[in-house]
Amino acid sequence: MSEQRVPCVEGLFGEEDGVATLYGSRCAGCDTPYFPKSAACHNPECVESKMEDYAFGGEGKLWSYAVADFPPPPPHKFDKPFTPYAMGVVDLDCGLRLIGQMVDKAEDVVVGAKVELVIDTLYHEDDKTFTSWKFKQI
Amino acid sequence: MQEVAVIGVGMHRFGKTGDAIVGTKSVGELCRTAVDAALKDAGIGWKQIQAVAAASSRFSGGKGWGLNGNDVVEDLGSTGIPVYNMSAGCAAGGNAFNVGYSMVAGGVYDVMLVVGGEVMPKGMIQTSGVEEATDPEFLRQRCIGMPGPSFWSTLARRRMFEYGTTEEQFSQVAVKARKCSVGNPNARFQKEITVEDVMNSPYVSNPLRLFQICPISNGAAAAIICSADYARKFTSTPITVATSTVATMTFNDMLPRGLADPMTECANLHTEAQNAVTSAFEKSGIGPQDISFTELQDNTCYYELAFPEEWGLCEAGQSESLLMAGETAPTGSMPINPSGGFVSFGEATTAMGVFQIAELTWQLRGQAGGRQVPDAKVGLAQTLGLGGNATAAILKR
Repeated sequence: MSEQRVPCVEGLFGEEDGVATLYGSRCAGCDTPYFPKSAACHNPECVESKMEDYAFGGEGKLWSYAVADFPPPPPHKFDKPFTPYAMGVVDLDCGLRLIGQMVDKAEDVVVGAKVELVIDTLYHEDDKTFTSWKFKQI
Repeated sequence: MQEVAVIGVGMHRFGKTGDAIVGTKSVGELCRTAVDAALKDAGIGWKQIQAVAAASSRFSGGKGWGLNGNDVVEDLGSTGIPVYNMSAGCAAGGNAFNVGYSMVAGGVYDVMLVVGGEVMPKGMIQTSGVEEATDPEFLRQRCIGMPGPSFWSTLARRRMFEYGTTEEQFSQVAVKARKCSVGNPNARFQKEITVEDVMNSPYVSNPLRLFQICPISNGAAAAIICSADYARKFTSTPITVATSTVATMTFNDMLPRGLADPMTECANLHTEAQNAVTSAFEKSGIGPQDISFTELQDNTCYYELAFPEEWGLCEAGQSESLLMAGETAPTGSMPINPSGGFVSFGEATTAMGVFQIAELTWQLRGQAGGRQVPDAKVGLAQTLGLGGNATAAILKR
């Protein structure tokens, strides 16, 4: 790949050895997962908030999805001409309900499908390829 | 606690910047019209108002700081009275009503003005505009690109998956709403539409179409509230505030709000709304079976189907059959949004909580014309705002 591949927001996610990874946190006190990182545990039943860095990823099940039929307003960025895309809400096996764009075409997306987390191209700018996390139906 | 009454309500008709209704009017002008109408309706003068609870907006007026109540007081006459500017996103109008209600109920003031008004910026509601990785709304838009309508579309799609709801049924909600708006002098849209019209409107975010989502509007609403003793000086038939509540979401909420949420066993998606409504039922001793009609926040038709079930007004999965049988129309057994709702008015965000109080009052007085709920005795109102804010109010005659 000739172009430099960089995350659309630094420090939020990565692709270590080709594996999509979200940089979040987890409360060691009550096991609650957070993405992005949380400064404190939101669980009112948690006795002591003990936040630790934690990496999330893997597979999950598509809870629902929507289609962006029109380009969203800034600060979203996209390659022109705009192509409609699907956005998934996924229940990851690691215990997070996460939102993200779908790699699959909107007409192919099915509620209940098994998906995996991937890092994929979001847009191009300044000779760079900007990436984000997305879901891909398995 | 003393009993609180609504003795006057007023509104400026909702419209779109540049149209024949609101033109280029400022939020101050819109509010002035609504407040003048509410004072006239109550039969009292501005100088008798002892305090103001105002919805605070980040979009317009308020000297750029959300000080909307201060603008209203200056415009009506700087009498030096206390002003409370309440910020709660789209729930701010309901929040302002709750603050007014609580202060009058607590005996701090005898009579107060509650007001909300809005001049909205053009296009889809944008985020804070701050490009910071610490702002979850910025992250959501930059990393995914998921504006409000798409958020609602994931909920609508899930309902279609769980209950087999069809796009035609979502459309029927809009048809019912717009039928209610015919002859409502304050509604932005006042013409009937057909299921075909809705189905022919373009997808904003599949599966939701343009006519199934409320647009943004400019508008204002005002209410004069006072103690029951004070009300007797002005009217023999005041509308009583049975209760007013405010709530936020709970930890087990499963709505995908930011980028991700911890998964729980919670079945409810809008816990803030359920918390506010449930709390209103508990505090007033009024149950779902006692409600004559409901004004709920229908940013999209989905909510007219989901909310009544989440609050126990009907059984889970029952909303579609009630809708198709006409039971959610003003003359049905479970009237929802007889005003025409957000789908007919458009959302002038922070005005909406007060807009609902005005509609409840007109309905309970029997002044709602062609959209009148027959023999309306008890009305429920509910708002929802960014950040997990919600409010509810129950009014009765």
